[in-house]
Amino acid sequence: MTEKPTLLKQVIVYTLLTIGAFMMAFPFVWMLSTSLKTLGAVSQLPPQLIPNPVQWANYETVWNRVDFGRYTFNSVLIVTIDLIGTLVSCAFVAFGLAMFNFKLRKVLYLAMLATLMLPFQVTLIPSYFIWKSFGMLNSYYPLLIPSFLGGAFGIFLMHQFFKSLPRELYEAAVIDGCNPLGIFWKIYMPLCRPALSALGVFTFIGAWNNTVGPLIYLQDRELYTLPLALLYLKSDTQINTALLMAAAVIVTLPVVAVYLVAQKQFVQGIASTGLKG
Amino acid sequence: MHKQGYWGYIFTLPFIVNLLVFVLFPIVFSAYIAFTQWDLFNAPRWVGLDNWIQTLTDPPFWISIRNVMVFSLIFVPLQTVFAFIIAYLLNQSIRGKSLFRLFYFMPVVTPWIAGGILWVWLYNYRFGLINWTLDSIGITPIHWLDNKHWWVVIASVAIANVWKGIGSSMILLLAGMQNVPKEMLEAAAIDGASRWVRLTRIIFPLVSPMVYMVMILSTIASFQAFDVFLGMFGSITAGIPEQHMVTNLIIYRDAFLFFKMGPASAMAWLLFVIILSITLFQRYFEKRWVHYD
Repeated sequence: MTEKPTLLKQVIVYTLLTIGAFMMAFPFVWMLSTSLKTLGAVSQLPPQLIPNPVQWANYETVWNRVDFGRYTFNSVLIVTIDLIGTLVSCAFVAFGLAMFNFKLRKVLYLAMLATLMLPFQVTLIPSYFIWKSFGMLNSYYPLLIPSFLGGAFGIFLMHQFFKSLPRELYEAAVIDGCNPLGIFWKIYMPLCRPALSALGVFTFIGAWNNTVGPLIYLQDRELYTLPLALLYLKSDTQINTALLMAAAVIVTLPVVAVYLVAQKQFVQGIASTGLKG
Repeated sequence: MHKQGYWGYIFTLPFIVNLLVFVLFPIVFSAYIAFTQWDLFNAPRWVGLDNWIQTLTDPPFWISIRNVMVFSLIFVPLQTVFAFIIAYLLNQSIRGKSLFRLFYFMPVVTPWIAGGILWVWLYNYRFGLINWTLDSIGITPIHWLDNKHWWVVIASVAIANVWKGIGSSMILLLAGMQNVPKEMLEAAAIDGASRWVRLTRIIFPLVSPMVYMVMILSTIASFQAFDVFLGMFGSITAGIPEQHMVTNLIIYRDAFLFFKMGPASAMAWLLFVIILSITLFQRYFEKRWVHYD
């Protein structure tokens, strides 16, 4: 802005922003606080902000009761494979779309954009039928295999990035005797690290928070992911609020941690693609 | 030069498979299933327009459409207005921008199932923090999620959804505002334009394409709401009362709990048509207030 705002105006801006930030953050504080309360303190009025006594045992209790170790392992496994598949396949396909001239290129590009708008509920039942015919229900295949086939959003993001690199780079590599696979892997992949990290953060958060997929495809309890385990825990009438809140913290913490570490890429990724996470 | 065609197909092959198997086939198949009676196990039986007529004449579908409509009428304007104000405030020359941004964005990355548990507790009639706060400033506590009026319940979910989604709209609007040329604002300031005039006559018109996009995206998202309602009401065993159901939850329930694939497919297509019409409708009014260079 041009003129330095007056002190009064600055105070107003800070006050409004702080009130807003407080309203956004306070539910998290409350979640943490409730998760550390005893059963009696949970329903005490007026509510305690800082639990007294602090009941760390809630975490231990809920962790053992629901086998969160297992579900954390499942979630980490799925997210890791999904991440590798998405990053490699989206970059791979986007490289093809950006670098080569072939007959179906325009059609594929438009089809990719159209896929972005396709609502998931339309393809849900047929996809389920496909996995059922393959005999792959109640396994991780339906959640993982598609990530190796390139998603429209990731391809779009990587395509924009490849297009921004100078064409001479590719031609120089060809003269040096590289084949396209080598050029992609050795030259372009390292170059597109910023775009890959933005896509990586999106993919991580999307996969970690995915509810519909696991809900439909996974039946055995041992296969559940963290959000799904939390959903079932919620239906358990025996569970009390403090334990439920401790479970919610366990499920939320990893994804918030990743966001805090990678927030710059994430925010830039959203702003540059204009798409929601 | 390498053979362009050959390598082009090699690189895009995964996506071609994806399009054929997980996009094209599902679209065609889903359109077919919508005209059949099918339980996923026996062969589909052609029933003509039955599923469509049944869906369009039974109340649950219309109740769910009413719910998502009210949901989006509360959620979209609230979220857009507040996101715009926050973005405008963050665009001033102040310190600690990234810290504020961090707070506003944190709910976006939180899984809805955890967010749902949290909000159900905040909305709790007897012990919830919201009612306690209201009570201590002399307002009668409100039945939020257990209200006998459906619209209070839907509005409560919409408010929680604003908390969850405001960060992403704010980021987009902030990106738009940072693109407003500084010289233009300086020139206007020298000519004596007040802050309010600069906001309404320069910043808003220039950011309006982004505002439009934010509104379209959040409208589509609210008609497709699934996670938020599952997170707030979701106890899979007990079920959600019809009065509070949204369309995608009915589709999920009919297909995967009741194995009625035909009606579920028809409903999925109807929802798609409604979303598409609303998007086109918004586009029609776009010309009135959105400015492009």
